[in-house]
Amino acid sequence: MRPKTSIRSLRRLGLLFVALVFLAFGSMLPVGAVQATNLNFVVWSYGIETIQSNIQNFQKLNPDITVKLQDYSWLQYHDTMVGRFTANNAPEVLYGSDHWLQEWANAGWLEPLDTHFPQVKEYSNDLAPYALQGMTYNGHIYGLSYYADTIVFVYNEEHLSKAGITKPPETWDDVLSQAQTIKDKGIAEYPIILAFSQQEGASIEAFYSMVYSRFDGPGAMFDEKNTPTFNKAGSAAAQTIDWLKTAYDKKLLDPASLQTAEIDQVKSMQAGAHTFTIFPQYNLAELNKPASSDFAGKFKMALMPGSSHATVGYVRFYAMSSAAAKQGQATLDAAWKFLEYFGGKTNGKYEVVKRWAVENGLGFAQLPLFDDPDVAKAFGAWGDIPTIKAQAKLARIKEGLTPWYGSWDVFTRAEVQKAILGQESTADALKAMADKYTELSTQ
Amino acid sequence: MGASQISAVKSPARSLNWERVYPYLSILPVFLVIALFTIYPVLYSLWISLHRYVLTQPKSHPFVGLRNFSETIGSYYFTNSIAVTGIYAVAAVLGVIVFGLLVALFLNTRVRTAGIVKILILLPWAIPAVTSGLLWKWLLNADFGALNGLLYSLGIINNYIPFLATPELARVSLILAQIWKEGPLAAIFFLAGLQLIPKEIYETARIDGGGNWRIFWHITLPLLRPTLLVVLVYETMTAILTFDIIAVMTGGGPADATALISWFAYAEIFKNLNLGHGSALAFVIALITLVLIILYLRALRTEEA
Repeated sequence: MRPKTSIRSLRRLGLLFVALVFLAFGSMLPVGAVQATNLNFVVWSYGIETIQSNIQNFQKLNPDITVKLQDYSWLQYHDTMVGRFTANNAPEVLYGSDHWLQEWANAGWLEPLDTHFPQVKEYSNDLAPYALQGMTYNGHIYGLSYYADTIVFVYNEEHLSKAGITKPPETWDDVLSQAQTIKDKGIAEYPIILAFSQQEGASIEAFYSMVYSRFDGPGAMFDEKNTPTFNKAGSAAAQTIDWLKTAYDKKLLDPASLQTAEIDQVKSMQAGAHTFTIFPQYNLAELNKPASSDFAGKFKMALMPGSSHATVGYVRFYAMSSAAAKQGQATLDAAWKFLEYFGGKTNGKYEVVKRWAVENGLGFAQLPLFDDPDVAKAFGAWGDIPTIKAQAKLARIKEGLTPWYGSWDVFTRAEVQKAILGQESTADALKAMADKYTELSTQ
Repeated sequence: MGASQISAVKSPARSLNWERVYPYLSILPVFLVIALFTIYPVLYSLWISLHRYVLTQPKSHPFVGLRNFSETIGSYYFTNSIAVTGIYAVAAVLGVIVFGLLVALFLNTRVRTAGIVKILILLPWAIPAVTSGLLWKWLLNADFGALNGLLYSLGIINNYIPFLATPELARVSLILAQIWKEGPLAAIFFLAGLQLIPKEIYETARIDGGGNWRIFWHITLPLLRPTLLVVLVYETMTAILTFDIIAVMTGGGPADATALISWFAYAEIFKNLNLGHGSALAFVIALITLVLIILYLRALRTEEA
């Protein structure tokens, strides 16, 4: 008799368990609930709390859309995303950059926005030309701007005044001579630092800006047909590499620059270890953030030294994957709402873009924001607005952007380092860079 | 013939068939798993290695024969990475063996602290490679690294040293990090080997007047040779395939000074998006490792004979 009782008891227990499971799950579903559309959103790790807050605000406005956030280090972002795209694990929406747009679009990983959302073109008139160019490939728009910024030249004003220098350098020769004075007076052991690590994706932008500033007009690196021009004798690129090598040999450029990425660069500037640097403009806001260091408020921006003072303007943007487009209209609708909220206007205002500008000092592609009093006040707290505007006017997109640009960029980082270290001549390094570009173009 | 008689005649045959089929059925699940996760990927990557497979051109994968192999082997990256890998592997394996042996000899003594050290020594090995890479990266930072701080405060250096930004120092730093990470495992292997050596042999040697060094050279080391070969095989493979530490500490720089062959394969796939080259390179790495393993195994067999 006992076994029968046990079996009955077990059956009863089983039924009870099933009923409880149904009850538990049933209670979680609100009456009349509509199935939400989920968007996976992948970003590089910067301002995660702000992103999460923006997502919450977006979800409040769009309760039928849920957003799941994932972030990767900036240094690993490209490679990680390539892995995800290749493994058919692409998120619906993600950060993109002008570096990789052509590579990712050509591989079929990103979806042109204007194909599905023709209204995206209405934003084009508001955008800085370099930013719009950076989000356009084969005549299609692939993104709405997350932020757009310039590469700027920054100096520690206190170091200059201690050295008896009254105005910032205007040419690259000035930079060397002022750095030498600062070093000789023991103010900074290595007055110049650059984020030239082989892992640093923005190092090519710093290099380009140094080249552009020595050259008038386009064609400093590539001509309009994307033929390399940088490898010509005496080119602005050759002068830049020679300058870097001189600065390295004279111990004016911190040798650690060859392994320095952006975060380390900012930290060592904050520590007062260096006087001059080149980086994306938003880092100036970080340097001058009150109480961030003893030198907060003493970091100033000057126009990029050189004859033309030109620099690189770049754009990072919100993009939609091709995988999202294949999921159907519900996902497309949700993706557009998301993209427009984050990179476009809400209630007629660029709310999220403005928030990044005001709270984090991120530059923007949306020109009307320059007239926004809140933005002007926020930028004025850490920077000199006339200089910011003047530098922005001289900003140009990176030349040579092609589907193989990303691969060439990685190759170039090592070649520039070899020339700086004296492992090969400037001419050989530039020739190798040009040959690589041609080789990649024929692949 | 009745039904019972027929079944009586058939059952041995059925039983025979079942006996034949049963072993295959038994290994089928495991075989399917291996086929799915090992055989299929290997065959697929072999197919990729024989085709032009650039991710930015998803619709064009023509057959190119062995061109991916010739292009990869003929490239500057390959020559550079083979040289870098060779230097790194030799130095790291030697370092791991010497470190492991010294630690094992210490742990095999009756010194009181040996017990605590036995636990502590395993910590670096237990730490994930990425974490240990980060530890070393911060430790060796040229601007605010702890090692520079220590050396400076002790008056040993006047200027902070850019450990990871100078080609030679970056290589040395990576080798040290690898020894620190892998040494403990080698130490445990050697300790196990040492504890298998009968105490009587040492006692006899001491009675015969043998000193520490002679005992080590003529007794300990010869009896440790099988363990030594195991460590040698394992650590050589680990060194050749090192990737995580490089990815975190140097990213192959400066100026490709730490671009080991595994980093080169990674760069071909994830940075150059050339799966054809990357797959060809993976087979080349596998071949190099296989040749080394065969050489080691032959040496091991000779020892056993």
